[in-house]
Amino acid sequence: MINPFKPARALIRGVQKETYDTTTYTLSFEDARVREEFAFQPGQFNMITLFGIGEAPVSISSDPDEGPTFQHTVRHVGNVTKALARLKVGDAVGVRGAYGTGWPMELLRGRNVLIVAGGIGLAPLRPVITQILRQRRDFGRVELLYGARTPADMLYTPQFPRWQEEIKLYQAVDVVPDGYSWEQRVGVVTTLFGEMESQPADTIVLTCGPEIMMKFVVKDLLTRGFLSDQIYVSLERRMSCGVKKCGKCQIGPKFVCRDGPVFAYAELMGLSEGVLGGVAG
Amino acid sequence: MVVARSLTIPNPLVLLPKKDLSRLVQHLMQRYTVVGPVAKGGEHAFSAITDPAQLTLDYVSSLLPPKKVLHQPFEVLFSFHQEQGVLEEREPARGQVLFGVHPCDVHAIEILDKAYGHEYPDPYYVNRRQNTLIVAANCTKVGDNCFCQSMGTGPDLQKGYDLLLTDLGSQILVEIGSPAGEDLLQQVPLQPAPRVMLVEKEKRLDEARRKFKKRLNTSGLKELLEDNFRHPIWDELRQDCLACGSCTMVCPTCFCYNVVDKLDLNLKSGQRQREWDSCMLLEYAQVAMGHNFRKDRDARIKQRIYHKLAYYEPQFGTLGCVGCGRCIGTCVKHIDITDIMARLGGE
Repeated sequence: MINPFKPARALIRGVQKETYDTTTYTLSFEDARVREEFAFQPGQFNMITLFGIGEAPVSISSDPDEGPTFQHTVRHVGNVTKALARLKVGDAVGVRGAYGTGWPMELLRGRNVLIVAGGIGLAPLRPVITQILRQRRDFGRVELLYGARTPADMLYTPQFPRWQEEIKLYQAVDVVPDGYSWEQRVGVVTTLFGEMESQPADTIVLTCGPEIMMKFVVKDLLTRGFLSDQIYVSLERRMSCGVKKCGKCQIGPKFVCRDGPVFAYAELMGLSEGVLGGVAG
Repeated sequence: MVVARSLTIPNPLVLLPKKDLSRLVQHLMQRYTVVGPVAKGGEHAFSAITDPAQLTLDYVSSLLPPKKVLHQPFEVLFSFHQEQGVLEEREPARGQVLFGVHPCDVHAIEILDKAYGHEYPDPYYVNRRQNTLIVAANCTKVGDNCFCQSMGTGPDLQKGYDLLLTDLGSQILVEIGSPAGEDLLQQVPLQPAPRVMLVEKEKRLDEARRKFKKRLNTSGLKELLEDNFRHPIWDELRQDCLACGSCTMVCPTCFCYNVVDKLDLNLKSGQRQREWDSCMLLEYAQVAMGHNFRKDRDARIKQRIYHKLAYYEPQFGTLGCVGCGRCIGTCVKHIDITDIMARLGGE
């Protein structure tokens, strides 16, 4: 019987500092067969092991067509992610996956796409953006609204010029500390809704960020006429297995690790336990 | 008389004189690890026995459910070395017989089979389960906290056993539930049971059925809970409950666990272990940066009750409570799931 709990060794091929507390790691499996069999969809996650420290779910931030390597953009805030910060190119970690539902890529094809991301929440959405850039003509209007706490917290800024050739990017930060210049909007990400061109018609919304941010994003979009089945959210929950066994990620009857982490908001609305603060019943 | 192998289902009834029970157990011990109820500090605990005399069928409930030998409280998943990764996986489980398991606990094991066996099957659980035979025992005694009758899981059992015992006084009625169960009876002195013994069995079970003090109305549970998510009882329970997690530790259907790495003194090698976890504990729903999705105690109490009575059904096609009553008996604040549901139901 296959042991889904057994991580395979993956080697760090590249380390790219994104911000003062966030790093992107490029990885590839050591074993050739594991390397060849590994496949993922944008929005899926891996369980990353640092032997002796523990294991944590981390979304995949690279494009699925850029294999056999894959990337994780990690904010060093937990046990595993802090320990990861000490590793360098050539070091090994344990990886198993990919797990969970991805973003609805087929649904996006032929439609308009509105992406709303906050902070590290842009990481699981980056593969959606790069997939769209690969076949830009397959999609309608594409807009990205990205908010972060400060200009120093914004991920992937060197890639923005390339993205902006193909899609519209709106940026906002909550605060501008002394010494930073910032010509974009100051405020929470929802303040960008006034600037965007996206309309509900034939548009799919993808959002990922802190739960409090997604709560206001969904709430605002619903009042703007977007429907609950047009809005997809990616949830964060505690996970010890990734395969519907440890139980910790449950919300109502849903296992976020397997039924999610990407959900149409419509799937979450009927749950007794409020998700996203029980935005709209 | 020795019953030949030709004794086959569907007339699988035999009688075992009670004095010969130890011979059956002795026989099982030659081939299997036998785990059954053993008296312990005024209670009973499922333990691996070394002598048939340690076993008793005269027990009402056990401290922990027999689940503990299938989904172990602590378990090493594998050893690792920081430079080499996973070093070893576990050996196949040894054959074991769970002896004297009550109907509620057999039903609970069937629920665990679904939780651990569906999609990505859990190889540790499945391996042990496949090497486990169940000798169940119908309940002719009823405990103060038992409400299996309401949950449709007792006091008698219809399926899920290899052998099923019913205490008829000086004799034990043995029903055979599987070829493996039939095989267990080889070389044990048995008499074919006349059909009239089924009447005697029903008489004793009927006596038990009249003794239940607790009940839980299972009709429309999901709707009742959905309609009462903001009922004042949850705030009362928030103040009452200590969030100690005992109710989940004794629950035969709870399956949650946490995973931890234990490093050896060389700080290079170690073991990845899992241990039972509980939705009643504060850290259970906490994520990075300290955010907690169930910070308040009432949210955790609701998670336990709603999961058992409203969420297992869509997840596994069955209710998640078998009415064993252990959570009631273990709670130092006497929080009682049957009282909670009666109150929500307006009783």
